[in-house]
Amino acid sequence: MTTGFCVAGLGVTAQGVRLGIPARALRREALELALADAGLRRRDVDGYIGTSGETFDDVRHLGLAPGFAWTMQAGGATATWSVLNAMSAIRTGQAQVVACVYGAAPSSRTARLADGSTGGYGSYGYGYPMLYGMVGAASAHALHARRHMHRYGTTTEHLGAVAIAQRAHAALRPGTVGYGHPITLEDHHASPMIVDPFRRLDCCRDTDGGVVLLITTAERARDLRSRPVHVLGAGTGHNLRNWWTGDVYDKHDDIEPAARTAFGQAGLTVGDVDVACLYDPFTISPIMQLEAYGFCGPGEGGPFVAAGETGPGGKIPTNTGGGQLSGYYATGFTAVVEGVVQMRGDGGATQVTKAEVALVSGHGGNGGVQNTWSHATLLLGADR
Amino acid sequence: MTRPLPPDVGADALDQPFWDGCRRREFLLHTCGECGRAYWPASSCVDHGWAPMSWTPSPGTGEVHTYTVFHHAYLPWLADRVPYALAVVRLDEGPFFHTDILDCDPGDVAVGMRVEVTFEDAGEGWVLPHFRPARVAPES
Repeated sequence: MTTGFCVAGLGVTAQGVRLGIPARALRREALELALADAGLRRRDVDGYIGTSGETFDDVRHLGLAPGFAWTMQAGGATATWSVLNAMSAIRTGQAQVVACVYGAAPSSRTARLADGSTGGYGSYGYGYPMLYGMVGAASAHALHARRHMHRYGTTTEHLGAVAIAQRAHAALRPGTVGYGHPITLEDHHASPMIVDPFRRLDCCRDTDGGVVLLITTAERARDLRSRPVHVLGAGTGHNLRNWWTGDVYDKHDDIEPAARTAFGQAGLTVGDVDVACLYDPFTISPIMQLEAYGFCGPGEGGPFVAAGETGPGGKIPTNTGGGQLSGYYATGFTAVVEGVVQMRGDGGATQVTKAEVALVSGHGGNGGVQNTWSHATLLLGADR
Repeated sequence: MTRPLPPDVGADALDQPFWDGCRRREFLLHTCGECGRAYWPASSCVDHGWAPMSWTPSPGTGEVHTYTVFHHAYLPWLADRVPYALAVVRLDEGPFFHTDILDCDPGDVAVGMRVEVTFEDAGEGWVLPHFRPARVAPES
Protein backbone atom coordinates (compact mmCIF):
# COMPACT_ATOMS: atom_id res chain seq x y z
CA MET A 1 0.00 0.00 0.00
CA THR A 2 1.02 3.61 -0.36
CA THR A 3 -0.30 6.96 0.82
CA GLY A 4 -0.55 8.12 -2.79
CA PHE A 5 2.18 10.75 -2.33
CA CYS A 6 5.73 10.88 -3.61
CA VAL A 7 9.01 12.65 -3.19
CA ALA A 8 9.30 13.82 -6.79
CA GLY A 9 12.26 16.15 -6.53
CA LEU A 10 15.42 16.12 -4.44
CA GLY A 11 17.94 18.93 -4.21
CA VAL A 12 21.00 18.56 -1.98
CA THR A 13 23.78 21.15 -1.91
CA ALA A 14 27.32 20.60 -0.69
CA GLN A 15 27.16 19.69 3.00
CA GLY A 16 30.10 20.47 5.23
CA VAL A 17 31.81 22.47 7.93
CA ARG A 18 32.10 26.24 7.41
CA LEU A 19 31.11 26.41 3.76
CA GLY A 20 30.82 30.18 4.12
CA ILE A 21 27.61 30.29 2.05
CA PRO A 22 24.60 32.24 3.42
CA ALA A 23 21.67 30.11 4.49
CA ARG A 24 19.28 31.61 1.94
CA ALA A 25 21.77 30.93 -0.84
CA LEU A 26 21.93 27.30 0.29
CA ARG A 27 18.12 27.11 0.11
CA ARG A 28 18.11 28.70 -3.33
CA GLU A 29 20.72 26.31 -4.64
CA ALA A 30 18.88 23.30 -3.19
CA LEU A 31 15.59 24.53 -4.70
CA GLU A 32 17.12 24.85 -8.16
CA LEU A 33 18.66 21.39 -7.89
CA ALA A 34 15.29 19.92 -6.86
CA LEU A 35 13.44 21.68 -9.69
CA ALA A 36 15.99 20.40 -12.21
CA ASP A 37 15.73 16.93 -10.73
CA ALA A 38 11.93 16.87 -11.15
CA GLY A 39 11.82 18.85 -14.38
CA LEU A 40 9.61 21.49 -12.78
CA ARG A 41 9.67 25.30 -12.92
CA ARG A 42 9.44 27.76 -10.06
CA ARG A 43 5.82 28.55 -10.93
CA ASP A 44 4.90 24.88 -10.41
CA VAL A 45 5.68 25.15 -6.69
CA ASP A 46 2.42 26.23 -5.09
CA GLY A 47 3.18 25.37 -1.47
CA TYR A 48 6.20 26.26 0.68
CA ILE A 49 7.06 24.69 4.03
CA GLY A 50 10.13 26.19 5.62
CA THR A 51 12.03 24.22 8.23
CA SER A 52 14.96 26.48 9.10
CA GLY A 53 13.43 29.64 10.52
CA GLU A 54 13.16 31.44 7.20
CA THR A 55 11.23 34.66 6.82
CA PHE A 56 8.78 35.65 4.14
CA ASP A 57 11.54 37.73 2.59
CA ASP A 58 13.62 34.57 2.29
CA VAL A 59 10.79 33.06 0.23
CA ARG A 60 10.73 36.19 -1.93
CA HIS A 61 14.48 35.80 -2.44
CA LEU A 62 13.86 32.36 -3.92
CA GLY A 63 11.62 33.84 -6.61
CA LEU A 64 8.66 31.71 -5.64
CA ALA A 65 4.97 32.66 -5.71
CA PRO A 66 3.26 29.87 -3.74
CA GLY A 67 -0.32 29.75 -2.50
CA PHE A 68 0.97 29.38 1.06
CA ALA A 69 4.29 29.74 2.78
CA TRP A 70 5.09 29.14 6.43
CA THR A 71 7.79 27.68 8.63
CA MET A 72 7.35 24.90 11.14
CA GLN A 73 9.36 23.69 14.09
CA ALA A 74 9.31 20.22 15.64
CA GLY A 75 13.04 20.03 16.35
CA GLY A 76 14.77 17.11 14.70
CA ALA A 77 11.37 15.72 13.67
CA THR A 78 10.75 18.77 11.49
CA ALA A 79 12.03 17.18 8.27
CA THR A 80 9.87 14.05 8.45
CA TRP A 81 6.96 16.15 9.75
CA SER A 82 7.33 18.58 6.83
CA VAL A 83 6.67 15.75 4.38
CA LEU A 84 3.55 14.85 6.36
CA ASN A 85 2.40 18.47 6.32
CA ALA A 86 3.03 18.72 2.59
CA MET A 87 0.89 15.62 2.02
CA SER A 88 -1.85 17.11 4.20
CA ALA A 89 -1.82 20.39 2.26
CA ILE A 90 -2.12 18.58 -1.05
CA ARG A 91 -4.85 16.29 0.24
CA THR A 92 -6.93 19.28 1.37
CA GLY A 93 -6.56 20.96 -2.00
CA GLN A 94 -4.16 23.75 -0.98
CA ALA A 95 -1.41 22.85 -3.41
CA GLN A 96 -0.21 20.33 -5.96
CA VAL A 97 3.55 20.59 -5.51
CA VAL A 98 4.93 21.50 -2.08
CA ALA A 99 8.56 22.39 -1.45
CA CYS A 100 9.95 21.31 1.94
CA VAL A 101 12.92 23.60 2.35
CA TYR A 102 15.99 23.47 4.58
CA GLY A 103 19.10 25.59 4.50
CA ALA A 104 21.30 26.59 7.41
CA ALA A 105 24.87 27.51 8.11
CA PRO A 106 25.37 26.88 11.85
CA SER A 107 29.05 26.03 11.50
CA SER A 108 29.80 29.35 9.79
CA ARG A 109 28.67 31.43 12.75
CA THR A 110 31.53 33.38 14.25
CA ALA A 111 29.92 36.04 16.46
CA ARG A 112 29.54 35.18 20.12
CA LEU A 113 26.21 35.66 21.89
CA ALA A 114 25.74 37.36 25.24
CA ASP A 115 26.10 34.03 27.06
CA GLY A 116 29.50 33.42 25.49
CA SER A 117 28.27 30.69 23.11
CA THR A 118 28.09 30.89 19.34
CA GLY A 119 24.47 29.79 19.41
CA GLY A 120 25.22 26.52 17.64
CA TYR A 121 22.97 23.49 18.08
CA GLY A 122 25.35 22.14 20.73
CA SER A 123 24.86 24.93 23.23
CA TYR A 124 21.09 25.06 23.62
CA GLY A 125 19.82 25.86 27.08
CA TYR A 126 17.04 23.89 28.73
CA GLY A 127 15.17 26.18 31.10
CA TYR A 128 15.81 25.78 34.83
CA PRO A 129 18.38 22.92 34.45
CA MET A 130 20.65 25.61 32.99
CA LEU A 131 21.05 26.84 36.60
CA TYR A 132 23.07 23.68 37.24
CA GLY A 133 25.08 23.73 34.04
CA MET A 134 22.84 21.63 31.78
CA VAL A 135 23.73 23.02 28.38
CA GLY A 136 23.67 21.39 24.95
CA ALA A 137 21.86 18.58 23.21
CA ALA A 138 24.56 16.05 24.15
CA SER A 139 23.58 16.24 27.80
CA ALA A 140 19.89 15.69 27.05
CA HIS A 141 20.76 12.51 25.13
CA ALA A 142 23.35 11.46 27.71
CA LEU A 143 20.54 11.16 30.23
CA HIS A 144 18.76 8.37 28.34
CA ALA A 145 22.10 6.87 27.31
CA ARG A 146 23.13 6.54 30.95
CA ARG A 147 19.75 5.07 31.80
CA HIS A 148 20.12 2.49 28.99
CA MET A 149 23.59 1.56 30.26
CA HIS A 150 22.21 1.12 33.76
CA ARG A 151 19.27 -1.02 32.69
CA TYR A 152 20.87 -3.18 30.02
CA GLY A 153 24.62 -3.03 30.49
CA THR A 154 25.18 -1.09 27.29
CA THR A 155 28.86 -0.07 27.16
CA THR A 156 31.09 2.57 25.64
CA GLU A 157 32.25 -0.19 23.25
CA HIS A 158 28.67 -0.48 22.02
CA LEU A 159 28.46 3.26 21.51
CA GLY A 160 31.79 3.13 19.72
CA ALA A 161 30.47 0.36 17.46
CA VAL A 162 27.77 2.74 16.22
CA ALA A 163 30.34 5.43 15.43
CA ILE A 164 32.54 2.90 13.61
CA ALA A 165 29.68 1.34 11.60
CA GLN A 166 28.43 4.70 10.40
CA ARG A 167 31.90 5.95 9.63
CA ALA A 168 32.44 2.79 7.57
CA HIS A 169 29.46 3.84 5.45
CA ALA A 170 30.58 7.48 5.25
CA ALA A 171 34.11 6.48 4.31
CA LEU A 172 32.63 5.13 1.07
CA ARG A 173 30.28 8.07 0.40
CA PRO A 174 31.79 11.08 -1.38
CA GLY A 175 30.75 14.45 0.00
CA THR A 176 30.40 13.35 3.62
CA VAL A 177 32.45 14.57 6.57
CA GLY A 178 33.85 11.07 7.06
CA TYR A 179 34.61 10.26 3.41
CA GLY A 180 37.85 8.32 3.09
CA HIS A 181 38.43 8.23 6.84
CA PRO A 182 37.30 5.02 8.57
CA ILE A 183 37.80 4.86 12.35
CA THR A 184 38.57 2.14 14.88
CA LEU A 185 37.54 1.46 18.45
CA GLU A 186 40.96 2.79 19.49
CA ASP A 187 40.17 6.08 17.75
CA HIS A 188 36.84 6.18 19.55
CA HIS A 189 38.36 5.53 22.97
CA ALA A 190 41.11 8.09 22.33
CA SER A 191 38.64 10.87 21.50
CA PRO A 192 38.04 13.14 24.50
CA MET A 193 35.09 12.68 26.83
CA ILE A 194 32.62 15.52 26.26
CA VAL A 195 29.48 14.73 28.21
CA ASP A 196 29.66 11.30 29.80
CA PRO A 197 29.14 8.73 28.27
CA PHE A 198 29.67 10.60 24.99
CA ARG A 199 33.15 11.10 23.60
CA ARG A 200 33.70 13.44 20.70
CA LEU A 201 33.23 10.57 18.23
CA ASP A 202 29.84 9.80 19.82
CA CYS A 203 28.58 13.24 18.78
CA CYS A 204 27.71 14.70 15.40
CA ARG A 205 28.91 18.19 14.61
CA ASP A 206 27.23 21.19 13.03
CA THR A 207 27.58 21.43 9.26
CA ASP A 208 26.22 23.86 6.68
CA GLY A 209 24.02 22.84 3.79
CA GLY A 210 20.70 23.02 1.99
CA VAL A 211 18.07 20.42 1.09
CA VAL A 212 14.78 20.74 -0.80
CA LEU A 213 12.20 17.98 -1.23
CA LEU A 214 9.37 18.41 -3.74
CA ILE A 215 6.26 16.53 -2.65
CA THR A 216 3.36 15.76 -4.98
CA THR A 217 0.87 13.04 -5.77
CA ALA A 218 1.96 9.71 -7.23
CA GLU A 219 -0.17 10.51 -10.27
CA ARG A 220 1.63 13.81 -10.92
CA ALA A 221 5.03 12.29 -10.11
CA ARG A 222 4.64 9.75 -12.91
CA ASP A 223 4.92 12.54 -15.48
CA LEU A 224 8.03 14.12 -13.98
CA ARG A 225 11.67 13.64 -14.87
CA SER A 226 12.96 11.97 -11.68
CA ARG A 227 12.38 8.45 -10.42
CA PRO A 228 9.62 8.93 -7.84
CA VAL A 229 9.97 7.68 -4.29
CA HIS A 230 6.68 6.67 -2.71
CA VAL A 231 5.60 7.58 0.80
CA LEU A 232 4.19 4.21 1.87
CA GLY A 233 3.23 5.30 5.37
CA ALA A 234 3.80 7.97 7.98
CA GLY A 235 3.29 8.14 11.73
CA THR A 236 3.99 10.31 14.75
CA GLY A 237 4.41 10.03 18.49
CA HIS A 238 5.08 12.50 21.28
CA ASN A 239 7.22 11.90 24.33
CA LEU A 240 4.99 13.81 26.74
CA ARG A 241 3.04 10.57 27.06
CA ASN A 242 6.14 8.99 28.59
CA TRP A 243 6.91 12.08 30.64
CA TRP A 244 3.64 11.68 32.53
CA THR A 245 4.29 7.99 33.23
CA GLY A 246 7.92 8.57 34.26
CA ASP A 247 9.27 6.44 31.39
CA VAL A 248 10.71 9.32 29.38
CA TYR A 249 14.37 8.50 30.03
CA ASP A 250 13.85 4.80 29.42
CA LYS A 251 12.11 5.19 26.07
CA HIS A 252 14.02 7.93 24.22
CA ASP A 253 10.94 8.79 22.09
CA ASP A 254 7.35 7.66 21.80
CA ILE A 255 8.11 5.48 18.79
CA GLU A 256 5.45 2.82 19.34
CA PRO A 257 2.47 4.85 18.01
CA ALA A 258 4.57 6.38 15.22
CA ALA A 259 5.65 2.93 14.02
CA ARG A 260 2.16 1.45 14.39
CA THR A 261 0.57 4.16 12.27
CA ALA A 262 3.28 4.16 9.59
CA PHE A 263 3.51 0.38 9.21
CA GLY A 264 -0.28 0.10 9.36
CA GLN A 265 -0.69 2.52 6.45
CA ALA A 266 1.97 0.71 4.46
CA GLY A 267 0.67 -2.76 5.26
CA LEU A 268 4.22 -3.76 6.15
CA THR A 269 6.14 -5.08 9.14
CA VAL A 270 9.63 -4.28 10.35
CA GLY A 271 10.86 -7.39 8.57
CA ASP A 272 10.01 -5.74 5.24
CA VAL A 273 12.42 -2.85 5.81
CA ASP A 274 15.58 -3.05 3.70
CA VAL A 275 17.42 0.01 4.98
CA ALA A 276 17.07 2.18 8.09
CA CYS A 277 17.72 5.92 8.07
CA LEU A 278 17.56 6.95 11.72
CA TYR A 279 17.98 10.40 13.24
CA ASP A 280 21.33 10.01 14.95
CA PRO A 281 22.89 13.06 16.61
CA PHE A 282 24.56 10.79 19.20
CA THR A 283 25.56 7.13 19.15
CA ILE A 284 22.86 6.08 21.61
CA SER A 285 20.17 7.20 19.14
CA PRO A 286 20.43 4.33 16.62
CA ILE A 287 20.75 1.78 19.44
CA MET A 288 17.51 2.80 21.14
CA GLN A 289 15.62 3.27 17.88
CA LEU A 290 16.67 -0.13 16.49
CA GLU A 291 15.16 -1.61 19.65
CA ALA A 292 12.01 0.51 19.63
CA TYR A 293 11.24 -0.25 15.98
CA GLY A 294 11.80 -3.96 16.64
CA PHE A 295 14.92 -4.67 14.58
CA CYS A 296 16.23 -6.26 17.79
CA GLY A 297 14.91 -6.84 21.28
CA PRO A 298 14.90 -4.36 24.19
CA GLY A 299 18.44 -3.85 25.46
CA GLU A 300 19.97 -5.72 22.52
CA GLY A 301 20.77 -2.66 20.42
CA GLY A 302 24.40 -2.36 21.52
CA PRO A 303 25.38 -6.00 20.86
CA PHE A 304 23.32 -5.91 17.64
CA VAL A 305 25.39 -3.04 16.25
CA ALA A 306 28.66 -4.47 17.62
CA ALA A 307 27.90 -7.70 15.71
CA GLY A 308 27.87 -5.74 12.47
CA GLU A 309 24.13 -6.01 11.84
CA THR A 310 23.83 -2.35 10.81
CA GLY A 311 26.79 -2.41 8.45
CA PRO A 312 27.02 -3.58 4.85
CA GLY A 313 25.51 -7.05 4.55
CA GLY A 314 24.07 -6.88 8.07
CA LYS A 315 20.45 -7.60 8.95
CA ILE A 316 19.51 -3.94 8.59
CA PRO A 317 22.02 -1.58 6.97
CA THR A 318 21.58 1.66 8.91
CA ASN A 319 22.49 5.24 8.03
CA THR A 320 24.20 4.12 4.84
CA GLY A 321 25.31 7.68 4.06
CA GLY A 322 27.08 7.99 7.40
CA GLY A 323 24.09 9.60 9.10
CA GLN A 324 24.52 12.77 11.09
CA LEU A 325 27.43 11.28 13.02
CA SER A 326 29.71 10.83 10.03
CA GLY A 327 27.80 12.19 7.05
CA TYR A 328 26.50 15.70 7.66
CA TYR A 329 24.03 17.41 9.96
CA ALA A 330 21.16 18.78 7.90
CA THR A 331 18.90 18.21 10.91
CA GLY A 332 16.31 15.54 10.02
CA PHE A 333 16.90 15.98 6.32
CA THR A 334 20.05 13.86 6.60
CA ALA A 335 17.87 10.77 7.13
CA VAL A 336 15.16 11.72 4.62
CA VAL A 337 17.73 12.36 1.89
CA GLU A 338 19.36 8.98 2.49
CA GLY A 339 16.00 7.25 2.31
CA VAL A 340 15.29 8.88 -1.05
CA VAL A 341 18.80 8.11 -2.34
CA GLN A 342 18.48 4.43 -1.39
CA MET A 343 14.99 4.10 -2.92
CA ARG A 344 16.32 5.54 -6.16
CA GLY A 345 19.25 3.13 -6.15
CA ASP A 346 21.72 6.02 -6.06
CA GLY A 347 23.66 4.94 -2.96
CA GLY A 348 26.85 4.08 -4.79
CA ALA A 349 29.23 1.88 -2.80
CA THR A 350 26.78 1.66 0.11
CA GLN A 351 23.62 1.09 -1.95
CA VAL A 352 21.61 -1.73 -0.42
CA THR A 353 21.01 -4.30 -3.15
CA LYS A 354 17.40 -4.50 -4.32
CA ALA A 355 16.28 -2.17 -1.52
CA GLU A 356 12.55 -1.47 -1.83
CA VAL A 357 11.56 -0.14 1.60
CA ALA A 358 13.34 2.46 3.72
CA LEU A 359 12.47 3.44 7.27
CA VAL A 360 13.17 7.11 7.99
CA SER A 361 12.92 8.61 11.47
CA GLY A 362 13.15 12.07 12.95
CA HIS A 363 13.07 13.13 16.56
CA GLY A 364 13.69 16.21 18.62
CA GLY A 365 12.22 19.45 19.80
CA ASN A 366 14.11 21.27 22.51
CA GLY A 367 11.44 22.18 24.97
CA GLY A 368 12.00 22.45 28.68
CA VAL A 369 14.00 19.58 29.98
CA GLN A 370 13.84 16.70 27.50
CA ASN A 371 15.40 16.69 24.07
CA THR A 372 13.27 14.28 22.12
CA TRP A 373 9.67 15.37 22.42
CA SER A 374 8.53 14.79 18.83
CA HIS A 375 9.01 11.70 16.70
CA ALA A 376 7.89 11.20 13.11
CA THR A 377 8.35 8.12 10.95
CA LEU A 378 8.26 7.80 7.19
CA LEU A 379 8.25 4.57 5.24
CA LEU A 380 9.58 5.20 1.75
CA GLY A 381 9.25 2.80 -1.16
CA ALA A 382 11.05 2.37 -4.47
CA ASP A 383 9.06 2.86 -7.68
CA ARG A 384 8.43 -0.48 -9.35
CA MET B 1 30.17 35.65 33.10
CA THR B 2 28.06 34.41 36.00
CA ARG B 3 25.62 31.55 36.35
CA PRO B 4 22.02 32.27 35.36
CA LEU B 5 19.45 32.91 38.06
CA PRO B 6 15.72 32.05 38.00
CA PRO B 7 14.57 35.20 36.13
CA ASP B 8 17.13 34.37 33.42
CA VAL B 9 15.74 30.90 32.79
CA GLY B 10 12.00 31.18 33.38
CA ALA B 11 9.85 32.61 30.61
CA ASP B 12 7.40 34.13 33.10
CA ALA B 13 6.56 34.26 36.79
CA LEU B 14 4.48 31.05 37.08
CA ASP B 15 7.29 29.23 38.92
CA GLN B 16 8.02 32.21 41.19
CA PRO B 17 6.36 30.67 44.29
CA PHE B 18 8.85 27.80 44.04
CA TRP B 19 11.85 30.15 44.06
CA ASP B 20 10.30 32.21 46.86
CA GLY B 21 9.97 28.98 48.83
CA CYS B 22 13.67 28.27 48.32
CA ARG B 23 14.47 31.59 50.01
CA ARG B 24 12.65 30.19 53.06
CA ARG B 25 14.52 26.85 52.65
CA GLU B 26 11.24 25.22 51.66
CA PHE B 27 11.10 22.82 48.70
CA LEU B 28 7.67 23.16 47.09
CA LEU B 29 5.93 21.04 44.47
CA HIS B 30 2.93 22.01 42.39
CA THR B 31 0.23 19.68 43.64
CA CYS B 32 -3.27 18.80 42.51
CA GLY B 33 -5.84 19.27 45.29
CA GLU B 34 -8.15 16.71 43.66
CA CYS B 35 -5.85 13.70 43.29
CA GLY B 36 -2.69 14.70 45.14
CA ARG B 37 -0.45 14.20 42.13
CA ALA B 38 2.68 16.38 42.32
CA TYR B 39 4.38 18.26 39.47
CA TRP B 40 7.46 20.33 38.72
CA PRO B 41 7.72 22.86 37.07
CA ALA B 42 4.31 24.56 37.32
CA SER B 43 1.79 22.41 35.49
CA SER B 44 -1.82 21.66 34.86
CA CYS B 45 -2.88 18.29 36.29
CA VAL B 46 -3.31 15.76 33.49
CA ASP B 47 -6.66 14.74 34.98
CA HIS B 48 -7.96 17.87 36.76
CA GLY B 49 -6.48 20.87 35.00
CA TRP B 50 -5.24 24.10 36.53
CA ALA B 51 -7.90 25.09 39.08
CA PRO B 52 -6.95 22.68 41.89
CA MET B 53 -3.17 23.28 41.63
CA SER B 54 -1.24 24.80 44.53
CA TRP B 55 2.33 24.83 45.86
CA THR B 56 2.80 22.46 48.79
CA PRO B 57 5.89 21.58 50.87
CA SER B 58 7.89 18.46 50.11
CA PRO B 59 10.71 16.89 52.13
CA GLY B 60 12.83 17.10 48.97
CA THR B 61 13.99 13.49 48.96
CA GLY B 62 14.34 11.05 46.12
CA GLU B 63 16.82 9.03 44.12
CA VAL B 64 19.07 9.62 41.13
CA HIS B 65 17.11 8.38 38.11
CA THR B 66 19.82 9.17 35.57
CA TYR B 67 22.79 11.51 35.26
CA THR B 68 25.66 12.72 33.13
CA VAL B 69 29.07 14.21 33.88
CA PHE B 70 30.15 17.26 31.90
CA HIS B 71 33.80 17.26 30.88
CA HIS B 72 33.36 20.10 28.41
CA ALA B 73 32.48 23.64 29.46
CA TYR B 74 29.94 24.90 26.92
CA LEU B 75 29.76 28.36 28.52
CA PRO B 76 32.40 30.52 30.18
CA TRP B 77 30.86 30.43 33.66
CA LEU B 78 31.18 26.63 33.67
CA ALA B 79 34.89 26.56 32.86
CA ASP B 80 36.08 26.18 36.45
CA ARG B 81 33.39 23.62 37.30
CA VAL B 82 34.24 20.76 34.94
CA PRO B 83 34.02 17.91 35.51
CA TYR B 84 30.59 18.24 37.15
CA ALA B 85 27.61 15.93 37.45
CA LEU B 86 24.10 16.82 36.30
CA ALA B 87 21.48 14.45 37.64
CA VAL B 88 17.78 13.89 37.17
CA VAL B 89 16.33 13.12 40.58
CA ARG B 90 13.07 11.20 40.78
CA LEU B 91 11.44 12.80 43.79
CA ASP B 92 9.57 10.50 46.16
CA GLU B 93 6.32 12.23 45.11
CA GLY B 94 7.01 11.34 41.46
CA PRO B 95 8.26 14.41 39.56
CA PHE B 96 11.71 14.69 38.03
CA PHE B 97 14.06 17.44 39.19
CA HIS B 98 17.29 18.34 37.36
CA THR B 99 20.12 19.29 39.70
CA ASP B 100 23.79 19.07 40.46
CA ILE B 101 24.96 16.75 43.23
CA LEU B 102 26.93 18.43 46.01
CA ASP B 103 29.20 16.76 48.56
CA CYS B 104 29.91 13.95 46.12
CA ASP B 105 32.70 13.27 43.64
CA PRO B 106 31.14 13.35 40.13
CA GLY B 107 32.51 9.86 39.56
CA ASP B 108 30.56 8.54 42.54
CA VAL B 109 27.11 9.62 41.33
CA ALA B 110 25.09 6.51 40.47
CA VAL B 111 21.60 5.57 39.36
CA GLY B 112 19.52 4.71 42.43
CA MET B 113 21.56 6.85 44.85
CA ARG B 114 19.33 8.31 47.58
CA VAL B 115 19.56 12.09 47.71
CA GLU B 116 18.07 15.00 49.63
CA VAL B 117 17.68 18.70 48.97
CA THR B 118 20.00 21.31 50.40
CA PHE B 119 19.86 25.05 49.79
CA GLU B 120 22.64 27.43 48.90
CA ASP B 121 22.78 31.20 48.57
CA ALA B 122 23.37 32.00 44.90
CA GLY B 123 23.84 35.75 45.32
CA GLU B 124 21.64 38.67 44.33
CA GLY B 125 19.09 37.49 46.89
CA TRP B 126 18.50 34.10 45.26
CA VAL B 127 18.64 30.76 47.00
CA LEU B 128 18.88 27.65 44.82
CA PRO B 129 18.02 24.08 45.73
CA HIS B 130 20.74 21.46 45.18
CA PHE B 131 20.83 17.79 46.07
CA ARG B 132 23.40 15.78 48.04
CA PRO B 133 23.67 12.13 49.08
CA ALA B 134 21.06 11.45 51.75
CA ARG B 135 22.50 11.48 55.22
CA VAL B 136 21.76 8.63 57.56
CA ALA B 137 19.50 9.88 60.34
CA PRO B 138 21.54 10.29 63.54
CA GLU B 139 20.97 7.70 66.26
CA SER B 140 18.62 9.02 68.89
